[in-house]
Amino acid sequence: MDREYTIVGTRMTRTDSLAKVTGSASFTADLKLPRMLCAKVLRSPHPHAKILNIDTSRALRLPGVKAVVTAADAHGVKWGVFKYTQDHPMIAVDRVRYVGEDVAGVAAADEETALEALDLIQVDYEPLPAVFNPEDAMKKDAPLIHEEYANNINVHVHIEVGEVDEAFGQAHLVREDTFHAAGEAYSTLEPYATVASYANGYLDLWMPNAAPHVRAKALSNLLKMPLNKVRVRRINVGGHFGSRSEVSPGDLVTSLLSMKAGCPVKLVLTREENAACTRQVHDIQATIKTGVKKDGTITAKEFRVVYDGGAYSSTGPIAASIPYYVYEEAYRFPNVRYNGYRVITNKGIRGMYGAHGRAFLCGNEMQLDMIARELGMDPMEIRLKNGLKVGEETATKSVIISGGLEEPIRRAAEQANWTEKRAGLTEGEGIGMGCVAVMCGFPMGFRSGSACYVKLNDDGQATIVTGICDTGMGNESMAIQIASEVLGIPVEDISLVNADTVVTNLDPGAYSQAASFVGGNAVKRACEDAKRQILGFAATKMNHPAEDLDIRDRTIISKTDPSKSMPMRWIVREAFFQGKPIAATGAYMPKVDFQREWIKKPYGQMAGTFSFGCSVAEVTVDKETGQIRIPHFVAAHDCGNPINTMAVEGQIEGSVQQAGVAVLTEETRWTEGLLLNPDLLEYKVPLACDMPEIEPLIVCSNDPEGPFGAKEGGLTTRMNAYSAVVCAAHNALGVPLNEFPLTPDRVLKALDAAKGGDKS
Amino acid sequence: MERFKVKLQLNGEAVELDVNPSETLLETLRDRLELTGAKDGCGLGACGSCTVLLNGLPTRSCIVLTAELDGSEVSTIESLADGTKPAPVQESFMEKGAVQCGFCTPGMILTAKGLLDRNSRPTKEEIIRSISSNLCRCTGYKKIVEAVEAASSTETPKT
Ligand code: FES
Ligand code: FES
Repeated sequence: MDREYTIVGTRMTRTDSLAKVTGSASFTADLKLPRMLCAKVLRSPHPHAKILNIDTSRALRLPGVKAVVTAADAHGVKWGVFKYTQDHPMIAVDRVRYVGEDVAGVAAADEETALEALDLIQVDYEPLPAVFNPEDAMKKDAPLIHEEYANNINVHVHIEVGEVDEAFGQAHLVREDTFHAAGEAYSTLEPYATVASYANGYLDLWMPNAAPHVRAKALSNLLKMPLNKVRVRRINVGGHFGSRSEVSPGDLVTSLLSMKAGCPVKLVLTREENAACTRQVHDIQATIKTGVKKDGTITAKEFRVVYDGGAYSSTGPIAASIPYYVYEEAYRFPNVRYNGYRVITNKGIRGMYGAHGRAFLCGNEMQLDMIARELGMDPMEIRLKNGLKVGEETATKSVIISGGLEEPIRRAAEQANWTEKRAGLTEGEGIGMGCVAVMCGFPMGFRSGSACYVKLNDDGQATIVTGICDTGMGNESMAIQIASEVLGIPVEDISLVNADTVVTNLDPGAYSQAASFVGGNAVKRACEDAKRQILGFAATKMNHPAEDLDIRDRTIISKTDPSKSMPMRWIVREAFFQGKPIAATGAYMPKVDFQREWIKKPYGQMAGTFSFGCSVAEVTVDKETGQIRIPHFVAAHDCGNPINTMAVEGQIEGSVQQAGVAVLTEETRWTEGLLLNPDLLEYKVPLACDMPEIEPLIVCSNDPEGPFGAKEGGLTTRMNAYSAVVCAAHNALGVPLNEFPLTPDRVLKALDAAKGGDKS
Repeated sequence: MERFKVKLQLNGEAVELDVNPSETLLETLRDRLELTGAKDGCGLGACGSCTVLLNGLPTRSCIVLTAELDGSEVSTIESLADGTKPAPVQESFMEKGAVQCGFCTPGMILTAKGLLDRNSRPTKEEIIRSISSNLCRCTGYKKIVEAVEAASSTETPKT
């Protein structure tokens, strides 16, 4: 696999970083357009209520108020990722279902006026009985939050493979445990914002988003406007982690305000609104039953997982499935039954999260350690025994084409001195391992693919046009790096135009881990097409076979006789002369089973490829205080082949923070429907002083499909770092830990419970 | 509403402002002066994304009232580069890969600059302690610490 690349695989300085270090990089809230108005949103104070009447007349009379909108200005279209989950009007019609739901919007000349106008809007509510916890919500007599979801079950994902009951009957050992994890807040450092500018029948939009084309389509539906009249533009995004995947209520409200006022309108949410009124993370309870043979081979798995979905569907079926899939993509189990229930409650809306599913994933890994202990096995051995290998199929029939779990496990264990460390642990110390594998993309119909255009200008520099979106991870830089590698011109010769729906072509977006594997492949193919054209002209001009020509450092050069060369720009100009300017297209559609559907047919090839990862955490636990520290953390991630080594490391390190350290501190706390910690003082995002010494390890499986062998750049760590930490804590304490995050009070409670005779 | 006249030395230039008493320095910078490098991440003093140098010290501009700053010196991220040449600390943030989404970056860099101005050879522990005043949601801080180490005038003594 040792191919020589010029720039792929280097520690390249990201192309976007200069604008970011100088403060000139603009985020949505930084935008200022002529005549721009300030928007504010009136929100529901009730978790569940009928709206009897909304009177906006007094607000409209306030000087400086330019527009007020309510659901009466919308078109009655509801949002949901799937046809069968379209339940969210985005601006409440006759009922509110969570505290903070958007009820009306105001656009005014300044912030004070807009806030004053909110006070003048009179809404008459009739409070309804509400329900805040999924188990209660599923009870027969629970208040029904949406007519269409019986027992408030929004989505039920059922997967059944093999002979599950028979396999449990024959198992040498069966364990069943229940784990619960509070939901998290995405805590992107940038609070949500939208700028909408409507003029002459066209709507221009800027907002932190992870997929401009998907966002424009959703808004074109909600606004009943043709897609070409809704333009989502490129803007820097201050973090995403799943939170910016879907259209947001603020997008609709701001758009309606701009259309009504005829001026640009900016809405910037406060930190507290960002937490309570944009999507947050699911609270999850997972009951996990595992059967194994005497040698530790997993023979059967059964899961019942309940997701607290909040008030609306959002990515419902996906959210209720992903934790399971990233687990079956890592481990072999021939018999499995999965029942995932996403349940509607009168709490804030929830979406997908980069570190989604910690109750399920930590639970599976900790239980595997408990089983290993009963069998007298090393946790590493039981993982190696059950880890999937290249050529194998997952339980629901996805073939693994590269990687496999073994190498990340071995690399991480070696780096962490796993065996020696385990043998030498003292009181209060523990070491643990967590594994996972992650799909690079998943079926989204024709939106699963990406397309890219390239043009060469008359000085031989290139413009790359792609829908690839960068929410902070470095996707823009990645696209430029790939283009530079293929075209043989330096990075500074490449201009990027991206994530602008009028200009760029479809792309699946910066979620589902498809950016480098799918979007990067499209860029590579487009540049290869351009290069083919260039070398074709060069062959004639230089009277030399095209196969023996290459482009290196802006020069066409013979591979066998380096004395034969010509500046590339001469060839590009020659192409202009002949009326055939160098302009190329490339597209990539991943090889997935498009018949696959999250509920109706959860079987078939899920993704073009999968990344594998293993994390090893060392912890110390103070049994007096319940305080856990993580002095050292090793994370091995198989990214196929890194495009930018430094960027991949950055993803791994950020994941250790957002999953590994977060499992000690992060949780959204509620009292009934009220979020108690919407700010960054009470919600504990880890700081530099909370971080372990991190050793990121890049594993290269050189994927046969990925661009230059690349897969995705670090998500396995985001979905296994918490498992490593909880397994290490379990290793240190020897008692079951079923409630996450592992805050000191929960640790002490687990120790007390074990003292009470409830030994595992 | 009562207005306050305030004279500031802002990014090396004298400015005279006429502000209302409840206006924060962050609002003055972003809304009045169009210096949007300082970010509003929380408005509560919790995240550090609004950090500027106030009389040389890293300060959260979202919890400082402009009306109280008469005669002060304020430096924002926009003033750090020497013309088009980024300052060494900016260079090292780029080179070490300490920048991801970039929302925390201006505040982080000014916090680091404030530290390096007071202590040109901070230990790793001192760097960690200092930047623990600022939140970053993307990086896990490792590369930020490395960037500040690289920017310090000599090799940081390793412990
Ligand atoms: S915006 Fe000032 S500390 Fe967060
Ligand atoms: S780089 Fe995104 S918050 Fe620090």
